[in-house]
Amino acid sequence: MNRKILSLVRVMLRNSTGLGIKDGKRSTQIFLIVMLALTVPFMLIGIVALFSSLIGAFMQIGQAGLVLKLGIGINSAIIFIFGIFYVMSSFYFSSDVEYLLPLPLKPWEIVSAKLIVVIIYEFIVTGVLYLPLLFTYGIRLGMGPLYYVYGLIVFVLLPIVPLALASFLVMLIMRFTNLKRHKDFLKVLAGMLGLFVGLGINMLLQNVSTDLSPEALLEMLESGSNSLVNVIPDIFPAAGWASQALVYSSSLKGLLNLILFVGVTLGAYGLITAFGQVIYLKGAVGLSEAGSSRRNKAIGQVVEKSRSRSALLSYCLVEIRLLVRTPIYFLNCVVMNFLWPLFLLIPLLTSGDQAMAFDEITRVISNPENAGIVLAAAFAMAVFMGASNGISSSAMSREGENIYVKKYLPVSYIVQLNAKLLSAMLIGFAAILVLVLLCIILFKMPLFLGLLMLITSPLALLFVSLTGLMIDLVNPNFTWDNEQKAVKQNINVFFNVIIGMIMAPLVIVPTIIIKWTLASTLAILCIGFLVLDILMYSILATRGVKIFSSI
Amino acid sequence: MIELININKTYNGKVKAADNLTLTVPSGQIFGFLGPNGAGKTTAIKIITGILKADSGSVKVNGIDIGQKPLEVKKQIGFVPDTPNMFLRLKGIEYLGFMADMYEVAADQRKPRIEDLASRFGMADVLDDKILSYSHGMRQKIVLMGALIHEPSVWILDEPMTGLDPRSSFILKEMMREQVNEGKTVFFSTHVLDVAEKICDRVAIIDKGSILFTGTLAEMKEHFKKNESLENMFLELTESE
Repeated sequence: MNRKILSLVRVMLRNSTGLGIKDGKRSTQIFLIVMLALTVPFMLIGIVALFSSLIGAFMQIGQAGLVLKLGIGINSAIIFIFGIFYVMSSFYFSSDVEYLLPLPLKPWEIVSAKLIVVIIYEFIVTGVLYLPLLFTYGIRLGMGPLYYVYGLIVFVLLPIVPLALASFLVMLIMRFTNLKRHKDFLKVLAGMLGLFVGLGINMLLQNVSTDLSPEALLEMLESGSNSLVNVIPDIFPAAGWASQALVYSSSLKGLLNLILFVGVTLGAYGLITAFGQVIYLKGAVGLSEAGSSRRNKAIGQVVEKSRSRSALLSYCLVEIRLLVRTPIYFLNCVVMNFLWPLFLLIPLLTSGDQAMAFDEITRVISNPENAGIVLAAAFAMAVFMGASNGISSSAMSREGENIYVKKYLPVSYIVQLNAKLLSAMLIGFAAILVLVLLCIILFKMPLFLGLLMLITSPLALLFVSLTGLMIDLVNPNFTWDNEQKAVKQNINVFFNVIIGMIMAPLVIVPTIIIKWTLASTLAILCIGFLVLDILMYSILATRGVKIFSSI
Repeated sequence: MIELININKTYNGKVKAADNLTLTVPSGQIFGFLGPNGAGKTTAIKIITGILKADSGSVKVNGIDIGQKPLEVKKQIGFVPDTPNMFLRLKGIEYLGFMADMYEVAADQRKPRIEDLASRFGMADVLDDKILSYSHGMRQKIVLMGALIHEPSVWILDEPMTGLDPRSSFILKEMMREQVNEGKTVFFSTHVLDVAEKICDRVAIIDKGSILFTGTLAEMKEHFKKNESLENMFLELTESE
C-alpha cells in the first residue's frame, strides 16, 4: 500500500484517544480496567449464551447455519448504520479535514486513509458480535481449522462492503446537495435517516419469519442440512457469501463463496476509493464555512430578548441548547432518549394480530391489581432511559478542551454540577412524559397512575444522572477533535448504560415476584431511591467537587 | 492589584512552568507580561484566574487570596483566553447573556452594557448569529465583550492582540487606557516586544518560569544594555515577530 496512506492512518489513529484509558491518572486507569474486567465478560457471556442456545435450537433441525447467516447479516447492517455517522463525521466534519486539504494528497488517498480508520473502529462492533458468534458456532458444530482461517479473513474484510455503501451514500449527499452550509441540519438529517433504516431493518427482521408460507417452511425445515441458508434473503450484500463460505468451509462450495466474498469486498474498496477520487474534494471544500443570516435586526430588539437568570438556570439552559444544537449530541442523547418508547411499540406494530396485542396490554395496564407492577415498570424504564441517554455520563467530556472556561467562571463547582444534573433530568423527564402520555392514550392507563409515574420518575432519573456524572468526572475525556468522541466513543456512557441495565431489573423483578400493592411499591421505591440519591449526591458534593476543582 | 508570591508549578514532575515566581501588578498601570513561547506566561495566568492550582505559593487579587475565596477573586477578574473557540453553537447574544448571568450582572445594567460594547467593537449586526459563523477576529471580540460585561476591576488578557484587526486593537488599547485611568488593573501577556512597547506602562519579563526583570519600558531598555542574558532575551523577543 501507498506509504502516504499508511502514515495518514497512523496519525489519525494516534490523534484519536480511543476509549480514553491510556491517559489519565493511575487510579483512574485501574478503576477503568476493573470496570471493564467486570462488565465485558458478562456481556460476552450473555452474547455467547444467546448464540449458543440459538445454534442449539437450530442444530436440532439441521439449520444452525441460519444463525450464522443472520448474525453476519445483522452485523453488516449495524456497521452500515454506524458507518453513516462515522463516515460523515470523519470524512467531512472532523477538524483534521481542514489540515488535510492543503496537503499534496490525492483525494483517493485521503478517502482510503479515512476509510481504513473507520474500518478499524468498526472492528469493535465486529469483535463484540461476530467473533463470539464465529467461535460459538465453530465449537458447537466442531468445525475444522479451515473454518477459522476463513473466519479470520471474513473478520478483517466484513466491514468494508457496508462502509463502502455508507461512504457512497454520504459522498453523494455531500456532493449534490447544497446543504453543506447547513451542516448541522444535514448531520441531523443523515442521523435520522440512519436511525430509520435501523428501525426498518428491525421491522424487516421481525417479519422475515412470516414471509414464507408455512408449508414451504416446513418442507425446507425437513430437508435439513442448512437448506434455509440458501433461501433466506441476504440482509446485506456480500454478507451472504461470507456466511456460506463459513458454513460450507469444508467443501469447495465454501472456497468458492470465500473467493466471491473477497473479490466483491476488494472490488467495493477499489470502487469507493475511485469514486472518492472523483467526488470527495467537491464535497469537502468549503465545509468550514457556516451559514449566517446577517439579518439586520436592531440591536435593541436583540438585546431585549436576553433576560437575566440565576447562574444555575442560565448554565442549565446553555447545556440544553448545546445538546439540542450540536447534531451528534442531539442524535445520541436527545433523539435516542425519545426513541425508547418507540422501540417498545415496534414489536406491537409488527406483530401479526395488532388489535389483540393492544387489547392484551390495555387489559394488563388498566387492571388495578397490576398497578404496583406497572408503576415499577415505568420506574425501571426511567432508570434505564436516564442511564442510556448519555447526557450526564458525557457531561464533563462534552466540554472538551474548553473545560478551562468552567474553571474561571465565578460559579461554584457544585452549582455547575447541579446545572448539569438538571439538564440531564429535564431531558430525561420529557421522555418519561411522552411514555406516560402514550400509555394513557394507547392503553387507557388510569390518569392517577400516570401522575404517580411522573412524580416518582425524577428519583430514578436523579440516581442514574448522579452515577453518570460521577463516572464522567472520574474519567473525563477532554481531548477530542470531533464531538462523536465525547458521546459515542466515550466509555463512561457505556458504563452508565450497564448501571441502568443492572438497576432496572432490580426495580422491576422483586415487584413481580412479591406482587407488591401499589402503595407498598410506591413507598419502597420512593424511600429506597431517596436514600440512594442522598448517598450519591453527598459523594458528588464532596468527592465530585474535589475532582472538578483539580481538573 | 495582583500579587503572586513564591508560586511554584511543575507539570508531570518534570517541566517547571513557575519557579518561585513572585510578581506584583499594581493598579492604575497597563502591565505587560513578556516572554518567549513556552516561558510560563499562560501558566501564570491560569494560576491567577483559578484554572490551575499552584503547587505552592499564594495569589491575591485586590488583596483577596484565591485559595481562600476563589469565587470572590474570580468575580473581580475579566479574563480573555488566547483561543476564542468556545460556545460556538450559541448565538453571540446568548453567550453574552450567559456570561452576564455567571457574573451576576444586574438586570437593568446588562442591556446598556451589551449595546455599548457591541457598538464599540462593531458587533451589533451579528449578535443574533451563532458564534460558529463568526470569523476568528469576531470570535475574539465576542469573548472580549463577555469578559468585560461585568465591568471587572482586573483585566487579564492572554495574547489579546493576535487576530484583531487594527481598528479593534486600537479600540482595545483605548479601553485599556480608560480602565487604568479609573485606577483599575490591566495585565496582559504577549510574546511581541513591539506590542508591549506601544501600550505598556510597565513590563515583567518571564523565562523558564521565573521573572527576569520588572520595571518601566525605559528601565528595561537600559537594563538590556548592561545585562547579557537579558539582551539575548531582547533579541529573541524582537525576532519572534
